[in-house]
Amino acid sequence: MTSDKDAILAELENGVKGLQQEIAVEAARKALAAGMNPVEAIENGLAKGIREVGEKFAKKEMFVVELIYAAEIMSSAIQVLEPEMKRLSSQRNVVGRMVLGTVAGDIHDIGKNLVRIMLEASGFEVRDLGKDAPTEGFVSAAKEMGADVLGASSLMTTTVDVQKEVVDALRSAGIKAPLMVGGAAVTEEWAKEIGAHYSSDANNATVMAKQLIGKGG
Amino acid sequence: MDAKFRPGKFGMKRFEVMERKDADAVHLKSLQLLERMGIKVVSEEGRRLLKAAGAEVDEKTHVCKIPGHLVEESMRKCKRPVKMAARNPAYDFVLDGEHCYACTDGVGLATIDLETGERRPSALKDVADSARIVDSLPMMHMYNPLVTPLDVPKHAHTVHEYLAALENCEKHFTTGSTYQKEEAVYEIKMASAVVGGEEELRKRPIISSLTCTTSPMVLGMTTDAAIEFSRAGCPPLLMAMPLIGATAPMTVAGAVVLGNAQVIALATVLQLAAPGSPLCYSSEPMAMDVQSGLFEGLFPAADMVRAAHVQMAKRYGIPIFIGGWGTCSKAPDVQAGYEKAFSAFIAYLSGADMTSGPGLLENWTVLSFEQLLIDHEMFTMMADMLKGFPVDDLSVPMDVIMEVGHEGHYMGKKHTLDHFREMWQPVVTDGRTYKEWKASGSKSAVDHARDRAKDILKTHVPGPLSEDLRKELRAIVSEAEGGIPHK
Repeated sequence: MTSDKDAILAELENGVKGLQQEIAVEAARKALAAGMNPVEAIENGLAKGIREVGEKFAKKEMFVVELIYAAEIMSSAIQVLEPEMKRLSSQRNVVGRMVLGTVAGDIHDIGKNLVRIMLEASGFEVRDLGKDAPTEGFVSAAKEMGADVLGASSLMTTTVDVQKEVVDALRSAGIKAPLMVGGAAVTEEWAKEIGAHYSSDANNATVMAKQLIGKGG
Repeated sequence: MDAKFRPGKFGMKRFEVMERKDADAVHLKSLQLLERMGIKVVSEEGRRLLKAAGAEVDEKTHVCKIPGHLVEESMRKCKRPVKMAARNPAYDFVLDGEHCYACTDGVGLATIDLETGERRPSALKDVADSARIVDSLPMMHMYNPLVTPLDVPKHAHTVHEYLAALENCEKHFTTGSTYQKEEAVYEIKMASAVVGGEEELRKRPIISSLTCTTSPMVLGMTTDAAIEFSRAGCPPLLMAMPLIGATAPMTVAGAVVLGNAQVIALATVLQLAAPGSPLCYSSEPMAMDVQSGLFEGLFPAADMVRAAHVQMAKRYGIPIFIGGWGTCSKAPDVQAGYEKAFSAFIAYLSGADMTSGPGLLENWTVLSFEQLLIDHEMFTMMADMLKGFPVDDLSVPMDVIMEVGHEGHYMGKKHTLDHFREMWQPVVTDGRTYKEWKASGSKSAVDHARDRAKDILKTHVPGPLSEDLRKELRAIVSEAEGGIPHK
């Protein structure tokens, strides 16, 4: 049984890091059939795979296209596991909770999606508000999930000001969780000016998010 | 495909700088010049061959008036396609008009030292080091010594260069400064030793020779060296080097005609010496700075002459080797970048089979290792455009486009995963964010190129020559030191 379980976990992991969707999805079905806890299938299988892809991406050994494709594979395998997770009301161990979105008026979300992938791979629970996300959405989502940290992305110079609106709205709602900002139009100086934290890319965002919630080295 | 050898491929419509009727006019006017005023042929053997074939030869002035039909017959005789072989047969290539290649050019006298950044006289080690770098770069396909080493016997520098190149580079070798018949004889002997005899060399010519004609209207002593190469079955590259406004008329068209006349005259001599032998057209025009009188390799007028000569070579159906990638800049800088990019790209867009000049600065007189890496990078970018693109079911994924729909993206799609490796990727070009760039030392492309060059020299090991062959080659070099005439 143990060796069966190990074999399934290995298939989950390899399906993700080897960019083989069918293998990962089929392994998720096998995991359920074998009575494996879906959280274990994610943590010791799929997430291990995506972490390795993330590390290789950071070292420039894998490409952004591969990282995103691996994340798609992981989410399609999780879809298979989800009904069983709901039935057992089991949850993944989370490192931290984060609200993430591209600010109102801006529809550029590829960079933001990379941040989500990397953070989820590192064990964060991420509430992704998508693109063109209203400012009040950041506030309500942060309250609902008890966010430890937030992230607001903006690619255009015309929408960076909205990041300030997000900070102001959070603070006036009494939410103290730090806000990370990023995107092509954002600078370190701007982040400081509005009382936020600048992150230049997805790898940097992961390290910074851990530091901000006191769990990073 | 070998990771160290990747040919460029033409996949788009060829650019023509002249109307067809103008190209025809260039040919006819060239024939008129050769028939009426003739060309001065310094080579005695050249004059003998022309005379025997019916040219009117003046033994006092050495001017040979060549009938047009003889020139046209000779152009038809040239071997097609031309094969360029290499020490390592995996790097052999055929000039089929569908692929393009890059070569280094000669001949510098100074090197910008990779360690100190200072300019100093060139040495044999610079030939060896630049050859090793070319050996490692996938889109550098042929090696011509970038500098003349000043630390070997001057009269025999070409054979020392060839030995250093053979020891450090397995790719095709072009000699850019073989002026005397005897130098050619020893180089052919070395090449034969490498491939296993003269007959084998004829099948796999691992050496070619740039043969300069002299403007205006002279075929110099280099003709004798070219005859040796032709008879050995190794392609000479017949180079016109008109200096617009000085040794050629002050117009693009005037320089085009003059250069063309010289090239087809030399081709005629060589086809008489060795009928059906391979040869290539070549051109490296320069333009005069009309304010100072200095000569600059890459003024737009000179680039237009290049493009026109490519069109003429295509008209004759023979491959062309364009001396380009020049710059008057003294350092690997912005000026070097734009001059080189324009000159190389217009030549390739016109269909040039080969161009030369990567790595040299200040009108082909100074070697910069950094520039060699940067020029290679530029060629990889050009080749990525020159290859064109297909329009078919695979390249236009209608189903994926409809599946992604409005406002989605393609980054997680299998089609993207299947095709992203076809995308051009930088080696020395810096595409990082300001923050990352600043944090890692604010390096420019030149800095990255320097790091890369040092890395290659530290790590790249070319396939070695056998000890017996090395001994044999060294013996030929010593023999050449005695046998090549010198004062």
